[in-house]
Amino acid sequence: MKVAYYPGCSLHGLAKEYGISVEVVCKHLGINLKEIEDWNCCGATAAHSLNHELTISLSARNLAIARDMKMDKVLAPCAGCFSRLKGASYELRNNKTLAAEVAEIIQSAAPVEPEVKNLLQLIMEEPGLLDKIQSRVVKPLRGLKLAAYYGCLLTRPKEIVQFDDPELPVSMDMILKALGADTVTWAHKAECCGGGYAASDTDIVLDLSGQVLESAHRAGADAIVVACPMCGVNLDTRQEAAAALKGKKYDMPIIYLTQLMGIALGYSPGQLGMKRHLISPFPLLQSKGLA
Amino acid sequence: MLNTADFYHVWRIDQSSEQLKEEIKEHCHTDIERCLECGKCSGGCSNAHIFDITPRKIIQLIKIGEEAKLLKMDALWSCVACQLCVDRCPSSINIPRIMDYLREKAYKQHIPATRPNVQLFHELMLGHINRFGRVPEALLSVEFNIRSKQYTKDAQMGMKMFFKGKLNPIPARVKDIKKVRRMFRNLPMQREG
Repeated sequence: MKVAYYPGCSLHGLAKEYGISVEVVCKHLGINLKEIEDWNCCGATAAHSLNHELTISLSARNLAIARDMKMDKVLAPCAGCFSRLKGASYELRNNKTLAAEVAEIIQSAAPVEPEVKNLLQLIMEEPGLLDKIQSRVVKPLRGLKLAAYYGCLLTRPKEIVQFDDPELPVSMDMILKALGADTVTWAHKAECCGGGYAASDTDIVLDLSGQVLESAHRAGADAIVVACPMCGVNLDTRQEAAAALKGKKYDMPIIYLTQLMGIALGYSPGQLGMKRHLISPFPLLQSKGLA
Repeated sequence: MLNTADFYHVWRIDQSSEQLKEEIKEHCHTDIERCLECGKCSGGCSNAHIFDITPRKIIQLIKIGEEAKLLKMDALWSCVACQLCVDRCPSSINIPRIMDYLREKAYKQHIPATRPNVQLFHELMLGHINRFGRVPEALLSVEFNIRSKQYTKDAQMGMKMFFKGKLNPIPARVKDIKKVRRMFRNLPMQREG
């Protein structure tokens, strides 16, 4: 499987540990990632908020490069980037007028392939991969009670993403169970954390992330597992303030799915960037004999 | 004391027009006449509790052509684009796309954002993409603080993040930056008027 890798700005910055662990785990599982050459930012919330053509063009250039690299799929582990790339590819397929305009702007034929996948999709849709992961677990995550958190964009909008259930998804729970962990049933697995408002309107993030944290806490989770850098960064870095608004303190570690996969596959927490979190996952991992 | 005016807003219709509805059909590929008025969009909305106009009302206002109210509503600047409304809509009305369309229209007409910092952050971010092709998160945060005059915002947290290696002091750059700038040249953030 030839997979083009689109890290996006966050996996090289705010969520380096996600990028590091994605690369470690994919290599271990024989998924050959090739970074999209000279990729540009997807435009994130800023571009789709202010200019529709710009947001499509930014993604179209990245997809066109991946196509020219003759890749079968594009992996976008960031849910925000995934949504931009996947949404652009959907529009370019279905809106011929826009596709022609975008082709002129990016000076290349509008890309209709390769297919864009998020991390959960890449794992679940590859025949036999989940079994392979399970068979290669050397350190089962026994005793961990985890809240699998999908946020908004890994499964929505359903018409475009076409993967898992949009509001009651199960794929991450299945992966975590294959690693030997337990997952909790909770109400906020696909609610929004506040996404791109972290800096510009922090109150929105404190409110929405606070609801997610409270819900995971009430469900008795030891940690929240994420597959999106915005979810990861908001829940980790804004946790203290969000909890303080409720007069609480959660100390809830926020861990990327690939970091836990790495632990179960035999890597050390240090190799997976576990020291980069503001709320350290080490006490929890040590208490379960995983670090 | 409870005041009925806090619960009921009487929309006074000065002008009614089909134009906005038709524009949305053309640009957002979504037909709001299919709205069943069931309210599942507002029921699912992540931020309905802070919206001045909730999604179902937004659709109603589009139907009657109340463009002026829509272009200055706070919901444009507090929608998190979580896609719950469109996924719950039995008629698949693409409300997130409609929100983007209305915001873009308001922005081009210089209608002041009810949350100026949100607009400022978007503009600064796009400025960085135009300059570097990628977003230098550290630089963007510092610039945002200065421009929004919130000089000490998140400073303590920012230092912690820096020492955890989460903030790159040197921006990464796209080599073929001309290709990226062309997108901005052809589609400048130009405004009408």
